Amino acid sequence: MKAKRNIQRFGLVALVFTLFSFEAVADVPVPDIPEAIKGEQCVEEIGFMRRNHMELLSHQRDDTLRKGIRTQKHSLKNCFTCHVVKGTDNQPVTVKDPRHFCRECHDYAAVQVDCFQCHTSVPGGAKTTGTRP
Amino acid sequence: MTLSVVYAILFYAATLLLVVGVARKVIIYARTPAPLKIPVTPAPTTKAGVVWRMTKEVTVFQSLFKACKWTWLFGWMFHVALALVLFRHLRYFQEPVWAVVALMQPFGQYAGFAMLAGLLGLWARRFLVDRVRYISSLSDHLMLALLVAIGLSGLAIKYLAHTDIVALKTWMLGLMYFDLQPLPSDIFVLLHLGLVIVLMVIFPISKLLHVPGLFFMPTRNQVDNPREVRHTAGWTAK
Repeated sequence: MKAKRNIQRFGLVALVFTLFSFEAVADVPVPDIPEAIKGEQCVEEIGFMRRNHMELLSHQRDDTLRKGIRTQKHSLKNCFTCHVVKGTDNQPVTVKDPRHFCRECHDYAAVQVDCFQCHTSVPGGAKTTGTRP
Repeated sequence: MTLSVVYAILFYAATLLLVVGVARKVIIYARTPAPLKIPVTPAPTTKAGVVWRMTKEVTVFQSLFKACKWTWLFGWMFHVALALVLFRHLRYFQEPVWAVVALMQPFGQYAGFAMLAGLLGLWARRFLVDRVRYISSLSDHLMLALLVAIGLSGLAIKYLAHTDIVALKTWMLGLMYFDLQPLPSDIFVLLHLGLVIVLMVIFPISKLLHVPGLFFMPTRNQVDNPREVRHTAGWTAK
């Protein structure tokens, strides 16, 4: 009886030990979030932005479109003054490019962005074609 | 980081219990002899017919439909919605995400509400139908409460207090790559994951075993050929 219990105990210790001694099989795939090209601080705190940027953009949209209040702070256009990814031709890439700032995470989390059916996805107002990314 | 480690250990343990537990039960079910030939008639007389019968049983809950339309309505709604919701959750376990999983995301969101509606209907049945209330035990209610709580906490992450979804996925992938990552410690995320862990642990020791159990029903999985082939199983084979 005692021997059996010892074997069980040994098995348990071995199991726990194995779980924690695993070397990472490979690096976890993470989105390659591009650095902002200027500025130290986003318009809101970073954890808040990661959770709630969509609310800010929708709220801004409602204020602007339905109430006529047009401000700079949370505007989509303002995002692209800092968050720009340049392609090989040194021009900002549009949302059609998977390296685009929005797409890095949105592709990763499989969340569809519908901003760019109408809005431009690059600074300076260059028009996107209006097709879905 | 402490929370990440605690939840990681709980997830590994729960997964182990779920897989080993269900496998053990399936082996027990498979070894249990069905000594009598008891397909419920009218029953298919060929093996292909049985496959078709079981397919209908699994996908549209045929015998439940024949038995009780209300239970079928809510039960089927819950199960189909759950399937969609689970399919939607695949995005946390794969990188890159399959196109079909990405495509199904919005439908999975609606399914979240349909799932809750189905569960609440099934729960109402346990209170409102006298015969069912009489045979409902505490565990029947607790099981529904657990599933409702999982659904509510999941919807809360989506519609009340968002989480850092990228960090959450990285944590989940980290479990699969044995490379632990920080878990975003939002209350609804912790609640949702905690309740899912509870569900995984009690799955192999609860009524939820109807999932594998369904396939072992002798009244549904037998061919109706008692005159053509002599039926032997277990002690009748000796």
